[in-house]
Amino acid sequence: MKKFVVLQVCVFIVISGALGGMFAFTPVYNEVRSGIVLVLCLSCLKLEPKTLADFTFVTVDNQPHPGFVLENLSHGVVFLFYSEDSCAGCDVMYPVIKDLFSVEFGKQDMFHTRVTFENATVGYVYVNINHATDELRNSERVYDKDQIHGNPMCTIVTLGYDNGKVRPKYTSVYGTLTTFGCQTDAERLVFLQQLVHESIEMYNQNKAGYPHH
Amino acid sequence: MKLQIKRLISQLILFFSANLGYPHYPGLKTGFCYPFFYCQACPASTSACPLRSLEESVDHGNFSWRLFFFPLLILGVLGVVVGRAVCGWACPIGFLQRGTGTVARRVKKYRFARKLGTYKAERYFRYIKYVLLIAFVFVTSYLIGFIFTDICPVGFLTGTIPVLLLNPGKFVPNYFFPVALVIVILFLVLILLIERGWCRYFCPVGALLAPFNKISFLHVSVNTTNCTHCNVCSYQCPMGIDVANMHRDPECILCGKCVTACPNELIAFEGRGR
Repeated sequence: MKKFVVLQVCVFIVISGALGGMFAFTPVYNEVRSGIVLVLCLSCLKLEPKTLADFTFVTVDNQPHPGFVLENLSHGVVFLFYSEDSCAGCDVMYPVIKDLFSVEFGKQDMFHTRVTFENATVGYVYVNINHATDELRNSERVYDKDQIHGNPMCTIVTLGYDNGKVRPKYTSVYGTLTTFGCQTDAERLVFLQQLVHESIEMYNQNKAGYPHH
Repeated sequence: MKLQIKRLISQLILFFSANLGYPHYPGLKTGFCYPFFYCQACPASTSACPLRSLEESVDHGNFSWRLFFFPLLILGVLGVVVGRAVCGWACPIGFLQRGTGTVARRVKKYRFARKLGTYKAERYFRYIKYVLLIAFVFVTSYLIGFIFTDICPVGFLTGTIPVLLLNPGKFVPNYFFPVALVIVILFLVLILLIERGWCRYFCPVGALLAPFNKISFLHVSVNTTNCTHCNVCSYQCPMGIDVANMHRDPECILCGKCVTACPNELIAFEGRGR
C-alpha cells in the first residue's frame, strides 16, 4: 500500500515537474497557440475557402517564392501587377489598379508601396517588365500559374493552410478579366476588390502560424 | 447535492470553459491542449486538440519533442490525479454521449441492440481505440501526413458544422468531406445505439488516458468481500464494465453511477492507494 502511494507520488512529481519545465524553459505554449490554436485548421474542417479565382501552393516548376515577396508577406497580402510598355490590356487595367489601392504612379515607374485595404496591409508591387530589375521580372515566371506568358497579369500572394503547415498561396489572373465576366472598369474593380478581400481573410486565418510573421 | 447533478454541473462548466475563444466573446485563445477530445477548429475553441499536437509532432517523418510531450504531460498530470474521470466529468463529447445515453438505454430494450453490447468479441473491440491512436494518429502522420484530422467526426461536429453555419457560402467541401460525413453519421448512429459507444471503442484520447486508471490517486473501489453480485452497478455502468469484479479498470470513467446505484453502499471513490 505504502509502496504504491510512493509510486503514485513519484509519477506525479515527475510528470508535473516535466510539464512545469516545458512551460518555463521552452516556447511550446506559444508554439501551440500560434501554430495550432490561432490557425484555422482546414483539415479539421474538411473544407476549403471559396474564392473567385483558384489559389494554389505550387509555383511554376516549383520555383521558390522571390525574397521580396516573402519579405512583404510577413506584413500582409502581396499584390503584384505585371505590365509592359506596349500592351493594350495593361492600359485597360492600369486605372483599375490605381483605383483599387488609391495610388498614383507612372506607367514606366518602378513602384512598391504598402497600402491599407479594409484595415489590412497590402504590399503592392508594380512591375513593368521593360524597366524592372531581374528579380522582379523573373518573379512573373514564378507566378505564371496557367503558363500564359502574357501581360497584364495580376498576382495575389497570401497565406494558406496546407495539411498542417501555413505556406504562401497565390493566384494569378490574366488580361482584362473577361474570363471572369468583367466587361467594364467598374466590374473589374469589384472583382479585384473581392479577390483582395478573400486573400486578406485567408491571410488573417493563417498569419499566426506563418513562421516569418 | 446528488453526485450526478455535480457531474452535470462540472460538464456544463467545462463545456463553456472550452468555448471561450469566439472572437470578442471573450476571444480567449490559449496555448494549452485540451485534456479531452475537442477540436481547435471550433470557432469558439480556447485550446488545441491533444491529437493535433501529437500528429504535428511526427508529421512527415519529423519529430518535434515539444509538441509530442506537451499534450501527453497535460493528460498525464490529470491522469495521475483523477484517471479517466476527465472523460466522465469534463469531456464535451462525453457530455454529448450522456445525452444520447438515455436514447441508447431505451434502444437497449430491443433485442438487436442488446446483442450489440454483449457479444463475446465486444471486449476486444475496446482495443480498437489503441489501434486508432497508433495507426491513425502516429503512423499515418509520420508516413503520409494528417489522416485522422481529415476524417475526425469530432472535428466535423464541433468545427465543420458551426463554421458552415456561421460563414454561409464562404467555404466549399474538400475531398475528405464526403468520407467524414459518412463517419460522423456512423458516429451518431453508434452513440445512439450503444451507450458511450465512442468512448468504449474509438476515442484515441480515451486510449491515452486509460492506462492512468491503473495508478491514479482517484479511483472507484469495490468491496468485493461483501458484494452480493446483484449486478445493479454493472447494469448502470455506461461503459459496460463488470463493476463487481473490476479493479482499476482502464475503461472506468469514474462517472460514479455505480457508486450511487449500489444498494449496499459497497462501491466508493477512493483518493489514494490500491
